[in-house]
Amino acid sequence: MMLRNFAREIRFLSKDRGALFWLALSFILSVIAVSFGVTEVREQRETIANLIEEDAADRANALEGQEDWGSAAYYAFHFTYAPPSDFAFAAMGQRDSTPWKHRVRMLALEAQIHEADTRNADFGLVGRFDFAFLAASVVPLLLILLLYDLRASERSASRHDFLVATAGSSLSLWFPRALVRVAGLALLLLVPLWVASLIAGASGMVTLQATGIVVGALAVWWLIVELVSRIKASPSVLLTSLIGLWLALAIVVPALSKAVIETNNPIPDGGEILLLQRETVNDAWDLPKEATMKPFIETHPEWREYAEIEEGFEWKWYYAFQQVGDQKAAPLVEQYREARLRRDRQAGIAALLSPTSFVERAFEKLAGTDAVSMIAYEDEVRDFHAELRAFHYPLMFPEKDYDSGLLAELPLYKPES
Amino acid sequence: MTSPLEARSLSLVREGNTVLDDVSFTVAQGEIFALLGGNGAGKSSTLLTFLGFLEPSGGDILVNGTSVGSDVALARSAIAYLPEAAALYGHMTAYENLDYFLDLADKLASQAEIDAALERVALLVEARSRRLQSYSKGMRQKTAIALALLRETPILLLDEPTSGLDPIAIDEFHDLVKALAEGGQTILMVTHDVYGACQVADRVGLLRRGKLVGSFAAENNKRINTEAVHAAFAEREAV
Ligand SMILES: Nc1ncnc2c1ncn2[C@@H]1O[C@H](COP(=O)(O)OP(=O)(O)OP(=O)(O)O)[C@@H](O)[C@H]1O
Ligand SMILES: [Mg+2]
Repeated sequence: MMLRNFAREIRFLSKDRGALFWLALSFILSVIAVSFGVTEVREQRETIANLIEEDAADRANALEGQEDWGSAAYYAFHFTYAPPSDFAFAAMGQRDSTPWKHRVRMLALEAQIHEADTRNADFGLVGRFDFAFLAASVVPLLLILLLYDLRASERSASRHDFLVATAGSSLSLWFPRALVRVAGLALLLLVPLWVASLIAGASGMVTLQATGIVVGALAVWWLIVELVSRIKASPSVLLTSLIGLWLALAIVVPALSKAVIETNNPIPDGGEILLLQRETVNDAWDLPKEATMKPFIETHPEWREYAEIEEGFEWKWYYAFQQVGDQKAAPLVEQYREARLRRDRQAGIAALLSPTSFVERAFEKLAGTDAVSMIAYEDEVRDFHAELRAFHYPLMFPEKDYDSGLLAELPLYKPES
Repeated sequence: MTSPLEARSLSLVREGNTVLDDVSFTVAQGEIFALLGGNGAGKSSTLLTFLGFLEPSGGDILVNGTSVGSDVALARSAIAYLPEAAALYGHMTAYENLDYFLDLADKLASQAEIDAALERVALLVEARSRRLQSYSKGMRQKTAIALALLRETPILLLDEPTSGLDPIAIDEFHDLVKALAEGGQTILMVTHDVYGACQVADRVGLLRRGKLVGSFAAENNKRINTEAVHAAFAEREAV
């Protein structure tokens, strides 16, 4: 019985040019969004592959002919990166506003990390047109256009009562009629996503979760449209109200909560960290050497017996003050890190007020492009840098003889994910 | 035996206005009852009350002896309703419209049955595969009548069924309605067409500003109680 209702409404839909137009548009938009994402991920992967290749060659070049550990450390750059996940094509998320690659060397690290902050272009209010944006912001609008006048248009054609009288009950009419549209929309959106997931090699579990998110979001918006269109108003009044609601839920609430969260959780500028660290490092040149070595030994007591620095330049003093630069910046860095995490947590709560924010965040999480993932990458860079120091200090402080053969054991950056 | 249609002291208020006031009548099985009245007399409202779209503010309305309010779906399933404005889909052909609405009514009909029904209402064969938006008012009305026929429900509610039909089509329609009644269907039709109503109906009711002011048997389909009819329309201007 229900199946027959659906079959009938599918035939009905196939003659409804307006609805077919919106459905076709959904499919086209989904294909575009997904291809943008796949292309972007491919480009990022290529960039990474090229940089990995160059990285080895550059370092070999830089290390060639070096005669002491200090210069070897000074000239050797190491490429670090967060590779896009297999599902990143669907949601570029924070990758667009947060660096996902850094070339670092043994110098003070935080300046190297935060240098990029000042260079990264912002995508502005709208963000990138990826699948997450489509599903979160555009799809509700398409759903509204597909559903808002199901009843109202029949009412204004004075066909409503006739239809209902013929159907006997609303359930065998409006429900299948709406469901066919919602299911069509879901399918036309999801097929490109599924194909891209297959091509990108995303895990079935992740794709399934993404499907669940899209279906859930459609269900929520359907409920909203359903509740509003019970009002016996003209189609244009309904459309205006629904678009107003969409503006509120998809644009105003996210923007407002973002503004409130950002004001309540001020974040030190990445540039401040950069400046503080540069100043610390620059000042160190003019300070007495103990001023550097004392705080260094406090954190690295194992090198106490080698901490005596003679007049003039010594590499271990140089690297000690780089390290102290990081130590000085540490509280600010921690503040920066914590504030971003706090903002993210609060944004997670605020997302409960807006299906749009909720979908976007859920996709970013699945794609590993959320704030937490980006901060995790920064932490990986810190860990790697610590490994570099752990490699060099035992050679540098006891002033071991330079042996280029040992350089083969230099730590290599390996992304965790 | 219970009557297929019965209004019991029916009163109806729409947006604060009394539209029906203490209206009582029954329509027996196989009977054609025509409700006559001027514009705004409450004819269409009466039909909508039988279909459960309007709730009586007093009295009761019964279909096959069951109060409509207690089981709307049951009442609707017994009724084929021809609305005032033929409300089929303009972007679909006659065949597509019939296919859609018959399916909606959970009624199976073969292509032969559909063609036979369209034949009975005299809808041209060439027109049947054309979209209704290219139809004349009368052609649309004929398609809607064909749908009502195909439903084969025990009861027919017809709201101005002959509006838009030419005189020959009206005659044919009246013959059709009589044949249906002879076949056992119960028919309640509302109209302004005094002469038509008296020709086709077994009984005529006169509705004036929401009140049933009289009803008489249209004997031999000839004699018309002109005085009563004129009285029924008399207050038209005041509405
Ligand atoms: N949708 C509505 N909402 C509120 N009142 C209505 C509505 N439709 C009709 N009415 C009122 O109900 C009364 C009866 O209207 P109804 O449509 O039943 O008259 P009718 O006898 O069918 O008239 P007509 O011959 O013009 O079709 C009128 O006074 C009208 O103003
Ligand atoms: Mg009417």
